[in-house]
Amino acid sequence: MSRQPEWEEIERIYHEALDLPVRERRALLARLDPRLREEVESLIEADSSTMLLTTPPTHMAADLLDGQPGGLAAGQRVGRYEIESLLSIGGMGEVYLARGDGGMPVALKILRPHLVVSAQAVDRFETEARAASALRHPNIVTVYESGRSPAGLFIAMEWLDGSTFRSVIHAGEVELSKAINWGGQAASAIAAAHRAGILHRDIKPENIMLVKTGVLKILDFGLARHGTPDGAEPNAIGASGTISGTLSGTLLYMSPEILRGETATSASDVFSLGAFLYELAAGRHPFAGDTPLDVFEAIECRPVAPMSSLRTGIPVRIDQLVLEMLDREPEMRPSAEEVAEALRTL
Amino acid sequence: MDEPPQGEITVLLAAWRQGDPEALNKIMPLVYAELHRIARRAWSQQPHNNTLQPTALINEAYLKLASSENASFKDRMHFFAVASSAMRQILVNHAKGRLAAKRGGARAHVSLDDVQPVHQEAAEIVALHEALDALQAVDPRKSKIVEMRYFGGLSVEETAEALDISVRTVNRDWRLARSWLIREMNREST
Repeated sequence: MSRQPEWEEIERIYHEALDLPVRERRALLARLDPRLREEVESLIEADSSTMLLTTPPTHMAADLLDGQPGGLAAGQRVGRYEIESLLSIGGMGEVYLARGDGGMPVALKILRPHLVVSAQAVDRFETEARAASALRHPNIVTVYESGRSPAGLFIAMEWLDGSTFRSVIHAGEVELSKAINWGGQAASAIAAAHRAGILHRDIKPENIMLVKTGVLKILDFGLARHGTPDGAEPNAIGASGTISGTLSGTLLYMSPEILRGETATSASDVFSLGAFLYELAAGRHPFAGDTPLDVFEAIECRPVAPMSSLRTGIPVRIDQLVLEMLDREPEMRPSAEEVAEALRTL
Repeated sequence: MDEPPQGEITVLLAAWRQGDPEALNKIMPLVYAELHRIARRAWSQQPHNNTLQPTALINEAYLKLASSENASFKDRMHFFAVASSAMRQILVNHAKGRLAAKRGGARAHVSLDDVQPVHQEAAEIVALHEALDALQAVDPRKSKIVEMRYFGGLSVEETAEALDISVRTVNRDWRLARSWLIREMNREST
């Protein structure tokens, strides 16, 4: 352990440097011996990360409390639905196949009561579920209703037979004509939602399904998820708290303005859709990185390589369109409507 | 249901404070078991507005285990320090179980984008746990502060009180510890 003797010195200089304005900090660091300097610099660099320790491990605690997720048994009733089987388990809830009136199959999503920590969160969830249920579009999963039951808040939605685009992308190269067609379906769904004043806020392959009939369906429109418990205090150490570690799964599709903690707009949805289209057509994510920090940096400042540099046969107009969707300036991006139109006429 | 021995924990805590390290080893299983018991009951009752802060669980465990009526704030904070370790162990074990279960594969007809948070968090908790062990070797106090703040959900003031240090020291230690842990975890992952 060769580091130990120096630890106190590292600690002293670390705090001293952080208290200084940037220019003076550089001057201070420049005077240090190289090893010490490397230590202090790497720590200061890590200090600016917002990725860790910003929120308590609430998801894990909820999961622990649940003990046995998927606790609803076949035959049990939730609202007017009868549970048939468990489809999937997530951090905040489960999805069941259930039967509604006349045996109609529905996907029933149940939110864990433990994660719904405030009255406002419940209100928000219900308001947004209502808004989403008002959306009717062939490429948006139909939400029948939402409600409360002893098992928790639930959303009943159209039951879909198919797979998510995550598995479609995993399965290998996608034909370009298909990618363009699917992109058009997705864009027209998002355009319809934007016309109705509803944002998706979390577009990514996991939230888009390909039904066996070839129709694309976007899930979870405007639904409240990832609710930061209202009691979670933003880290005292300058982190904004907008990106908790638990959000990093979604990081790849987040627009730069969201990363900066600004409010989502329709242009943020367009950005996420652009990242999805890029991944679908080029076979690689535009902001792929080894660590969340790499991804963060890529979204913020790495130039996006044209898709044609990764795959031959990409029409110039598509390449251009996707790059425009991924513009760092929200106002420079086309609207979802324009994207849909462009993909249709290709 | 076997009840935990009431009051025993108070005696053990006093012994631990007076420098008996063995006392801590006896306290831990009691706290661990109680936290688990509370967790199970909380679920079976499904209270809609049950907050999930680890602190709430620990607080409940304290009320259960220690006859708290005459306990001072400091006594309570000492208990919290111990309970944070237990909470860490519980969450880490659970996270490992989660990660192992995930490898078993999942059926998904309907995407649940919520699948991410738990698994992501599980991976982070395990990585943080290992990094904290490494920090323990370099600077035990900082490791303890992170354990109490993150796993125990204690405030800066409560942490300062439990460890008999100033609020300023907790803040400074926390900042450096966080930088150190992030750096360590980034190194591990690359």
